[in-house]
Amino acid sequence: MNIFYILLKKEIKELVTRQLIFTIAATLLVFHVIGKSVGTHNKASAAHNTIVLLDLDRSALSARVAAAVRAGKTEVKPAGAGDIQAALAAPENISENSFMVIPAGLQAEVTAGRASRIEYYSRFRKDASGLGPAIAASRIRRTAQAATAEISSWLLERGMPSRTPAFLRDPAPAREFAVVDGHTAEISLSQVIGFIQSQSLFFPVAVFFIVILSAQMIMTAVASEKENKTLETLLSSPLDRRLLVTSKLAASCLIAAALSGAYMLGMRSFMAGVTSLGADPSVAVAAAGPALAQLGLTITSSGYLLIGLSVLFCILCALAVAFILGILSEDVKSIQTMMTPLMMPLMLAYLLPIFIDMSTAHAGIKFLLYAIPFTHAFMAPQNVMMGNISQVVWGIVYQAAVFAAGVALSARLFSGDALLTLRLKWPGTK
Amino acid sequence: MTIALEIKDLAKKYKDFEAVAGLSFDVREGEIFALVGPNGVGKSTTLKMIATLLTPTAGTAAVFGRDTVRDAHAVRELISYLPEEAGAYKNLTGRDYLDFMAMVFLKDKARAAAAVAEGERLSGLGARLEDKIKTYSKGMARKLLLARAVMIRPRLAILDEPTSGLDIVNGYEIRKTIKELAAGGMTFLISSHNMGEIEFLSDRIGVINKGRLLACDTAAALKAKFSTEDLEEVFIKLTQ
Ligand SMILES: Nc1ncnc2c1ncn2[C@@H]1O[C@H](COP(=O)(O)OP(=O)(O)O)[C@@H](O)[C@H]1O
Ligand SMILES: [Mg+2]
Repeated sequence: MNIFYILLKKEIKELVTRQLIFTIAATLLVFHVIGKSVGTHNKASAAHNTIVLLDLDRSALSARVAAAVRAGKTEVKPAGAGDIQAALAAPENISENSFMVIPAGLQAEVTAGRASRIEYYSRFRKDASGLGPAIAASRIRRTAQAATAEISSWLLERGMPSRTPAFLRDPAPAREFAVVDGHTAEISLSQVIGFIQSQSLFFPVAVFFIVILSAQMIMTAVASEKENKTLETLLSSPLDRRLLVTSKLAASCLIAAALSGAYMLGMRSFMAGVTSLGADPSVAVAAAGPALAQLGLTITSSGYLLIGLSVLFCILCALAVAFILGILSEDVKSIQTMMTPLMMPLMLAYLLPIFIDMSTAHAGIKFLLYAIPFTHAFMAPQNVMMGNISQVVWGIVYQAAVFAAGVALSARLFSGDALLTLRLKWPGTK
Repeated sequence: MTIALEIKDLAKKYKDFEAVAGLSFDVREGEIFALVGPNGVGKSTTLKMIATLLTPTAGTAAVFGRDTVRDAHAVRELISYLPEEAGAYKNLTGRDYLDFMAMVFLKDKARAAAAVAEGERLSGLGARLEDKIKTYSKGMARKLLLARAVMIRPRLAILDEPTSGLDIVNGYEIRKTIKELAAGGMTFLISSHNMGEIEFLSDRIGVINKGRLLACDTAAALKAKFSTEDLEEVFIKLTQ
């Protein structure tokens, strides 16, 4: 037999351990859960495809526009209100996010050769995330295209040679507005979505790495003390064992505080960069600066403090879990696989909100996500920006409780035989 | 004569595996007592129970009259334990390690300083104490750890395989240090799987197999009893 083949076989045998298979299976499970819940969730939200139409023109043309939108498979719900603010506030529209306003005099204006404007309002929920806003944006885009085509056809049918082609192509350009928590600003929808997605993608990635880093740090610290037996030496000394737990945790807490401070500063300069760039069309997010401020999508100093606290407690939770996992690991080599129980909830908390709109998510998914203490930190920036302060505060309280439970459990593990005899056994390993 | 260590029917089960199955023996103050037996017979488990790290499933162990379970803290004030194949904090220098451990055990600056001075002498490492522990050879590290264990002048020093895996010179130096300290009144409980070296080091030997004590006496008495000149032969005969 080829010697290379023999070597290859040996390498694979060395690499493919039960732990590896377990880790892969766990990862697949996470992705399966995400895929399943994303699928059902987005099917459900796609089924709700409605735009509220406030027709202030009530003309033959506006009726045709509405019919054209309906023909595009979007349900049109007529609003009885007299203006957009009333329509937004109307109780029957409370769960509607897309609004269209046909201005009074549309038919008269365009017939006379003057450009009119059709307005689109998109409401963003406080805890909007995932693909929901993007789906709403594509609905607005489709509606606007249908309306433009219809008005254009209406003019062309009447044969008006004196009009310029540009006017005929787009007689009533769209104006897009975003509505957040009662504030309205004129801003391109894609800019708002870009901004929100940068919240749910960029910041969690930073937290994700900080959490992994600090968890690995403390796990290595505990596991190497176990491996070197320096822990046994300390445990046989007259030292108060609680001091051993608290000193280790305190050291990593200090590092965690430094990390979350760095995170906060980094986020602040990111936000400052975003809002100071002004209207630069080459930067989709940056262009939105002033309008985002008008929508209240900015963070005050106390907001930053709150986010920093949430990130800090997130790291502390991870540290407490990692501490326990470190106690249960045999040596430094095994911490790679011992990270799995930490990685799974971390991945779920990070990935699910990217795909699922939390404002409309199924209660079970919500419960799962909020039970993971890391979720609260991932969503803190967005919640602070959307004025969802109480949720951030409760998140911190919950994280603190999880942390306290973790510390209590570590202290218990430190006071008995467990530290020397207990070992987390993977299914099937000896 | 004071009894330093009194073991009665000591037993330890890991899940349903009985690693130590009822040991009884005494160690007198100033004595070097060696638990001898091949790998996996329960020597380390016994020492860990005496060092208050494991709780016995049955029986008792008392250090100078203090029970290792009920009075664990008092026992920890009296003992010093050197785990089998122990390491140290690799990024500390030898001296920093001694400083740190002296403070952990003695909690008093002046007493710690005196202990460290003693530890430096006992380690025999000289100027190498200024180097990081990760640069030490196995023998140097073991000498540092032994110095750490005895510099605080424990009443009872518990050393798990203090010389295993060392070369002749380092093994000899460690045995010499232990003898010197025992002559000064320190009590030693050590374990070894090497019958040969233990003969010259210990005052009395406990031969252990499968968690049970097979014999307990001086090397000379054991050899006389089995009419042989070789301690290893004693063990072979005992286990047959
Ligand atoms: N934490 C543990 N869990 C289960 N079995 C153990 C544990 N530690 C030791 N053992 C088993 O107990 C027996 C005695 O071990 P040990 O006391 O280390 O022996 P020795 O020190 O004499 O070599 C061995 O068979 C070992 O496999
Ligand atoms: Mg052993």
